Amino acid sequence: MVAEAKLSHTAAMILQAISAGYVYGFSIMEMTGLPSGTVYPAMRRLERDDLIRSQWERQSIADAEQRPPRKYYKITTTGRATLESSRKRYPLLERLIPAEEASSR
Amino acid sequence: MKSPSDVAFSALQQTALHTAALLVPSAERQEWTFEWVSELWHVRRSFARIDETFSLESQGEITRFCLGAFADALCVRHQAVKPTDRHAHMHGSAAQTLLWLSVAFLICLFIASFLPGVEAENEAAQFQISPNALLIAEATDDSANPSISAGLYLDWKSTHQRYFQDLAFYHVTRETAQTGSERISWNVARSSTNLFALLGLPLMHASNDDSGLPSVILSHDAWIRSFAGNPEVPGRILRIGHANVRIAGIAPAGAWRLPGSPDVWLLQPDAQIASDLPARTPGYLFAQLSPRGQAAAQRSGMGISARNLEDLLIDLSGTSLTVPVEGPWNLSAFALFLALLALPAVSSVSLGETHLTPHRASFRETLRRFLFLAAKFGLIAGIALFASYDIAYCRTSSYSGGAECLQLIACFAICLTGFRWTLADQRKRCPVCLRRVTNPASVGLASRTFLGWNGIEMICMGGHTLLHVPAQPTSWFSDQRWLYLDSSWQFLFADTVIY
Repeated sequence: MVAEAKLSHTAAMILQAISAGYVYGFSIMEMTGLPSGTVYPAMRRLERDDLIRSQWERQSIADAEQRPPRKYYKITTTGRATLESSRKRYPLLERLIPAEEASSR
Repeated sequence: MKSPSDVAFSALQQTALHTAALLVPSAERQEWTFEWVSELWHVRRSFARIDETFSLESQGEITRFCLGAFADALCVRHQAVKPTDRHAHMHGSAAQTLLWLSVAFLICLFIASFLPGVEAENEAAQFQISPNALLIAEATDDSANPSISAGLYLDWKSTHQRYFQDLAFYHVTRETAQTGSERISWNVARSSTNLFALLGLPLMHASNDDSGLPSVILSHDAWIRSFAGNPEVPGRILRIGHANVRIAGIAPAGAWRLPGSPDVWLLQPDAQIASDLPARTPGYLFAQLSPRGQAAAQRSGMGISARNLEDLLIDLSGTSLTVPVEGPWNLSAFALFLALLALPAVSSVSLGETHLTPHRASFRETLRRFLFLAAKFGLIAGIALFASYDIAYCRTSSYSGGAECLQLIACFAICLTGFRWTLADQRKRCPVCLRRVTNPASVGLASRTFLGWNGIEMICMGGHTLLHVPAQPTSWFSDQRWLYLDSSWQFLFADTVIY
C-alpha cells in the first residue's frame, strides 16, 4: 500500500488555495494570511512531491499587460487525492477557502 | 518622483532578494531570482498608492515579503542537496542493513579474487598427490633436505623393485635462464621425466611437440613473475645453462607441496641425469608403491633398509605425500559449525518474541522476518568466508598450512561475532516493518522495581511498536516485550512527509 503524504494544516491550506484558483504565491499569501517565508517554501515542497505543478506565463501575455511574467501553480491529480484526504482530516478547510471565492475573482 | 525613503526601501528589498539568491544553488538561481523579482513587482504594485508612492507601513510589509525569500532560498537549497527524504526512510531499515552487508560481502569477495594465495589454496584442494606416492629420505635426515644420491636412484631404477612400481628423482640448483634478451636466475629442478606423472599432478596449458628439445615446466609463480601469466608461453624456447629447452606447461598454483621451491622443472631422461649430475649429487626420491609394497608398508611401517653406492647398509624412511588439504569450503563449513555451536555460549539465541501481547503476527510478517534473519546469516557467513581468505592470504601468495589455520580461526571469529550481532540486531527490529527501534528512553526507577518495571523503552519510527527492555530481569518481566501500537498513534509518526 502506498501511503499518501500527510499534510500539515498549513500545507493543506495552501493546497486548498491553489485548488480554489489562487494560482500564484502572493495571491495565496493574501488568501491564507501566511507570510511569504511560509508560503513559498511550502509550495516548493508540494511541487517536489508532485502535488502541484508550476508553469511560467507566456512572455507575450506579460508584455501585452506591461508587467513581468508570473509563475502559476496548478494542482495535480495526486494533489487532488491528497487534498481530499486532508479535507477529511481538517473539515474546516473548505470553509476557510471556498472554491467559489477564487473563481469569482 | 520617488521619495528618498522609497528609493532606500526599494534598494533594501532588491538587496535582500539578491542576497537570498546567493543561497540558492547556481543551477536554479536565475529562475528563482526571476520569480521573486516578478512577485516583488506585483507586491509593490498591490501596495502602491494612486500616485505610485508607498506608506511606511506598506514598505514594511513589502520588506517582510522580501525577507521571506531567505526561507525559500534555504528550502530550495535543502531540496537540491537532499532531493528526497529517501535516506531518512532508509535509515535503520532492513533494506539498508542488507545493502551494507552486501557491500561488505562484495568488497571481501573482490579482494579475495585478487589474492594469489586464495587461488593456490583452491588448486591445492583440487589437485591431490597420488595416494601411494612416498618421499624417500635417509632415516637420520630431515626429509626436507636432499639425501638420496642420483647414482642410487639410477641404480634402483635399473634394477627390478619388488615394492615400488616406479621411481622419480629431482635435484634443485640455482641456474641462469635466458628468455629472449632477459636473464633470470631460477631454482631449476633437474628431474626425471616421470616426476609429474608419478605425483599425479596435471599441467596447465600443456604443449606437445616433436622438436626433440628437453621439456621444462614452469611453476605458477615463475609464470606470473617472469611471463605475466601469458597463456601463450607454453611452446616457447628458453635457454637454461647451455641448453635450449622448450616450455611444456605450467604447474598449477599450490599443487607443488614437496621439498625445494623450484621455479622450473627440467625434465630429463635417466641417461641425461646420469651424464649431467655426478653420482653423489643429493636429490629427492619419490616412489610409487606397488600392491606388494602397500601391503608391506601396512604390516611393518615405512622403514626401508637398502645398500648405498658403497654397498653399505643404510636406513631409509618413506613419508606419505598425501597431506589432506581441507579446501576452503570444508574449512568454512567447519568454522561455521563451530561458531553455531559456540553461539549459545556468547549470546542469547532468543529473538525477543513475546507471547503476552494479544497481537498475533501474520504469516507474511513472520515469513518476512525470518527471511531477513536468514539473509543476514547468509551474508555474514559469506563475509566470514571471503574475509578469512583476505586475512589468511594478504601476506602470503602461496598455499600453506599456517595460512589455512589462520583462515579457520578468522572464519570462526567473524562467524561468531557476526552471528551474535545478527541476533542482537534482530531483537531490536520492529516485528512489523523490520526497522530498528530508536530513541531509547529510560523508564522507571531501579529503587521502585516492586512498584513498576524499569528499563529502556525504544520506539519504531514507523509508529508500529514500542520495545520495553527491562534493566533488571524480574520473575514477572524477564525478557524484552513488544507493545503494538494501534492506529490512533499513527498521526504522530511521519512515515511519509509532513510539512
